[in-house]
Amino acid sequence: MTMTRRDLLTKIAIGSVSAVAAGCVTGSALTGVVHAEEPLKVLPEAVGMLYDATRCVGCKTCVIACAEANNLKPDTSADGLHQAPTDLNAFTKNIIKLYKPASGEGFSYVKQQCMHCVDPACVAGCSFHALTKNPKNGVVSWTSDKCSGCRYCQIVCPYHVPRFQWEGFNPLIVKCEMCKERLADGKEPACTTVCPTRAVIYGRRADLLAEAKTRIKETPGKYYLDKIFGEEDGGGTQVLYLSHVSFDLLGFPSLGKESVPEKFLKWQKRAYSYMAVPVLLYAGMVTVIRRNWAGHEEHMEHEEKRTGLRSQL
Amino acid sequence: MPNHDGNEKDQTIAAHLKRCGVSRRSFLQLCSALMVTAPVGLALTEKASALEVAQQIGRTKRPSVIWLHFQDCTGCSETLLRTSQPDVADLILNVISLDYHETLMVASGHQAELTLNQAVKDNAGKFVLVVEGSIPTAEQGIYMKLAGKPALQVLQEVGSQAAAIIAMGSCASWGGVPSSGPNPTGAVGVDSIIKNKAIINLPGCPPNPYNLLGVVLEFAAMGKLPKLDDKKRPLFAYDRLIHDHCPRRAHFDAGRFVHSFGDDGHRQGYCLYKMGCKGPATHAGCSTRHFNEIPDVWPIGVGSPCVGCTEKEVAFRVPIFQTVDIHGATPPEGYPLVRTQTGTLGAGAAALAGLITGAVGGAAWTASRSFGKADSAETTEENPDLVGKGDK
Amino acid sequence: MKNRWQRSVPIHGVPVFTKPFYALGAITLSCVVLCIYRVVFGLGPASGMNDAYSWGIWKTFNVMVLTGLGSGGFAIGVAAWVFNKKSFHTVMRMALLTSFLSYASGMTLLAIDVGRPWNLYWMLFPWKWNGHSPLLEVMVCMSFYAMVPLLMENIPPVLERAYYTHPEKRALIAKAESIMKRFYPYVIGTAYVLPMMHQSSLGALMLLAGDRVYPLWQTPFLPLMYVWVAGYMGFAAVAGTLLLCCLVWKRSIDLKVLVDMCRVEAWLLGSWVVFRLTDIILRDAAGLMFRADRFAFLFWLEMTLAAVGFGLLLRAIKTRQPGDLFFANLITASAGMLYRFSPSSFAFIARPGAIYFPSAIEIIISLGFVSAAIMGYLYAVKTFAILPASNEEWTAMTTDPQFKSFARPEVSAASMAAAHD
Repeated sequence: MTMTRRDLLTKIAIGSVSAVAAGCVTGSALTGVVHAEEPLKVLPEAVGMLYDATRCVGCKTCVIACAEANNLKPDTSADGLHQAPTDLNAFTKNIIKLYKPASGEGFSYVKQQCMHCVDPACVAGCSFHALTKNPKNGVVSWTSDKCSGCRYCQIVCPYHVPRFQWEGFNPLIVKCEMCKERLADGKEPACTTVCPTRAVIYGRRADLLAEAKTRIKETPGKYYLDKIFGEEDGGGTQVLYLSHVSFDLLGFPSLGKESVPEKFLKWQKRAYSYMAVPVLLYAGMVTVIRRNWAGHEEHMEHEEKRTGLRSQL
Repeated sequence: MPNHDGNEKDQTIAAHLKRCGVSRRSFLQLCSALMVTAPVGLALTEKASALEVAQQIGRTKRPSVIWLHFQDCTGCSETLLRTSQPDVADLILNVISLDYHETLMVASGHQAELTLNQAVKDNAGKFVLVVEGSIPTAEQGIYMKLAGKPALQVLQEVGSQAAAIIAMGSCASWGGVPSSGPNPTGAVGVDSIIKNKAIINLPGCPPNPYNLLGVVLEFAAMGKLPKLDDKKRPLFAYDRLIHDHCPRRAHFDAGRFVHSFGDDGHRQGYCLYKMGCKGPATHAGCSTRHFNEIPDVWPIGVGSPCVGCTEKEVAFRVPIFQTVDIHGATPPEGYPLVRTQTGTLGAGAAALAGLITGAVGGAAWTASRSFGKADSAETTEENPDLVGKGDK
Repeated sequence: MKNRWQRSVPIHGVPVFTKPFYALGAITLSCVVLCIYRVVFGLGPASGMNDAYSWGIWKTFNVMVLTGLGSGGFAIGVAAWVFNKKSFHTVMRMALLTSFLSYASGMTLLAIDVGRPWNLYWMLFPWKWNGHSPLLEVMVCMSFYAMVPLLMENIPPVLERAYYTHPEKRALIAKAESIMKRFYPYVIGTAYVLPMMHQSSLGALMLLAGDRVYPLWQTPFLPLMYVWVAGYMGFAAVAGTLLLCCLVWKRSIDLKVLVDMCRVEAWLLGSWVVFRLTDIILRDAAGLMFRADRFAFLFWLEMTLAAVGFGLLLRAIKTRQPGDLFFANLITASAGMLYRFSPSSFAFIARPGAIYFPSAIEIIISLGFVSAAIMGYLYAVKTFAILPASNEEWTAMTTDPQFKSFARPEVSAASMAAAHD
């Protein structure tokens, strides 16, 4: 087969047009799911909790109340007897831990649970929206029928919160969902209702922030750096912390003001914005490939004639 | 016995006690005991002092109580009477008007039957019916008859006339011992038979008599029944776990257990959980309201594990020495540290990984060496242009 | 001209079912049994994974590393078709086969690895996707790539065999081939865009892990570097495997093609090292290289492998010794493998006090999936025309009773003679 220059150019043109068209169709089909977005901001009706480590007496009533409210099997792995979880785990969504320096001075309890980030990494990373942020109150919750159990949320959560049920053939992701059923009934989360010293309180995030600031103002020097952890850390969280010891010692990471998805996924999001880059890349490649293809085919035909052996693709 | 005294005022409890020569002091003691029994949950006892409770009760007309026995052991009657001092039992029987009670009354035969009919007729719609024992339902209830009628029929006839029914003890509440497998008589509790009456279950084997007194007097004095839980048990007496108020709780939290009866731990009064104590699954007031007015007179107090007699699903269902799951018990002292250890490294896995790495590395090295040998052989003899000059 | 790779020729004169094949089969079989155990009892009993290191070697090695090694079909394809490096066309079939097998084995293992695989069907509903999720990108893109373009690229050898073994259907097969050829440029276009997307997203996966990836590895360019590494790893894996096959089955070695491949590799590897170092310096993370900790050690191990690999590649290009070429490719591939493995394992700091080491079951399952891929490879190269060889080799093959039908009756003696020039 011989090909004139005109033929070649025509074919290249047809190829490019069809490639671009195909790309545009794919691209527009996916526009709904893939487009650049601004990072999430604090919702006006966002609810949260304020935990004050200086008030906590470590009674662990909240741990028990949480397990009861969420129908979690008691974790008796520590001694086969007591419900005494040693960490957040498949049966524990909320735990009181102890920071105790060798000297014994300046110890502190800390309540570990989901922080309900303003712009959560787990939600950003979750493939099929199994983890979602409630558009009204900002509670981050999990749905079993969307989760493939890939455990990416465990990899990306900067606070190391989501837990996976490693036993059994139908494992679930376990994390605090701020007692969403209780919230729907107009009740508070279980842990905040039982706290005897009101060390953890529930409310609108804005109110809690104001409350925390009042506490800092009223007792200067009491709180570590007069800082509210979660006010802006990692883009802000809906569970806020006050403490008299460094947050680092309580196991919190030092994150910047940007949220994890905003900080680390910015360029990734731009690159896939409207699928423009992949589509253009495809169009360009097909154009070049088609040109090289023509040459290759000619060469193969020539070889076939020369050797008498059937050409291979 | 039916009260045929003169005017309304003479029928009050205060008047009756005076008539019978019961001292005011012992009446006040009874009122104090009631307040201890029901610290919260009874309108009757939510008063500042025993004096006010006594006044409230004193004003009240003696409530008429009819007591029916079905498949029982009379243990629940015994618990009412077996007080540490005889005058307390006497006192109780003077506060309420026990109009029919087969074990206690003198009458028998037709006379007894007549008494029952009379008592029901006289107080129709007003009396409190106390049922003791379970009701056989198999074979149309022929397993127990009373004056020629099956227990089932007696209960329905008398129950239909009652203001309220108190199921006294586990048998009357949901079958109790007679209902445990294979349950040949088809024994059931009162609330399986009577559906349209207020029923209060006072499970226990036996229950604390003050629970009965509390309910009856609340009904007589305040005209209402106490708040109930989902198993129709009055909350004032059944709202807490034995385990949460157990005097041996400290031993549980510290991990000190009895391992066999009579061992050192048993003598030291350690926790009976491992002996099958059902305390962590049992709602009852036993751990704070002991029996017979004597401190420590209750199963755990005398070194016997709780059998869970106030729980429908526990006593006579779960073997006595089988331990129960602990759900909701507060954890012991001791906290996980902020930084905890996770993960394991198995020796076998490490060896396997080493083995594979070694094998792959060794194979790769051998392969890269083999090329040299193969080449030199082929280059010199068979195929000089294979290596080195390449293809230009 | 015996040492020229002119066309793909099946391995002949060797049985498919050999002792090593059965040994691999035994590993695969035990892997299948253990997979059933995993499905019934869950991930906990079967693996060493835990809540801190919730991704084990199934993801970090079998998917992250082995699909990198299996990027030959993509890397060599781009060089051959887009950059028109004609000499690479002869090794395309082999590269595509290894790509397909490594992707297929990785994706299947992924289904064993995820806890709730029955929910993976949401992949079929684009409007349910979270478009921002790098993991979604990886899952959707990888499975689509493996199941559509990559599979189609692997059809020609099968059709070719059918052409010879079923002479009565030749017209039909020729028709199928010509249809295929018409769409081929569009198919291979997707076969290069998709790997670029998902190989980069493999890097983007670890982006979202943020500060939990040690700063020597965590960089906004992680996606780019992952594709870059996939490029030279793909070349190195194909070149190395080809050399190994030539050694094992005593086939001729076309040094020109291999040296060409090494040149591309050397460019990719060298520029990658420079880019990596520049990135670290610009991010002010250079100080971390000189700390006496395991991360610095890991970094230098990786850099040493890359530098030695680069040196060995240059040396091999010069000496043109198969042994040198093999060793250079081995080290180059190792450097890439280590880099691809680190961010999700060694350099991933889940939290202090947490460790992960794969359990024996986990290792055997991982190994089993690799074994299955190797078995597939052994079967394919002995059945289909996959591995490159000279035209004489093709003629020699047709004397093998197994491949007798491959001899074309209509080829004239004259053209046969021409073929052997």
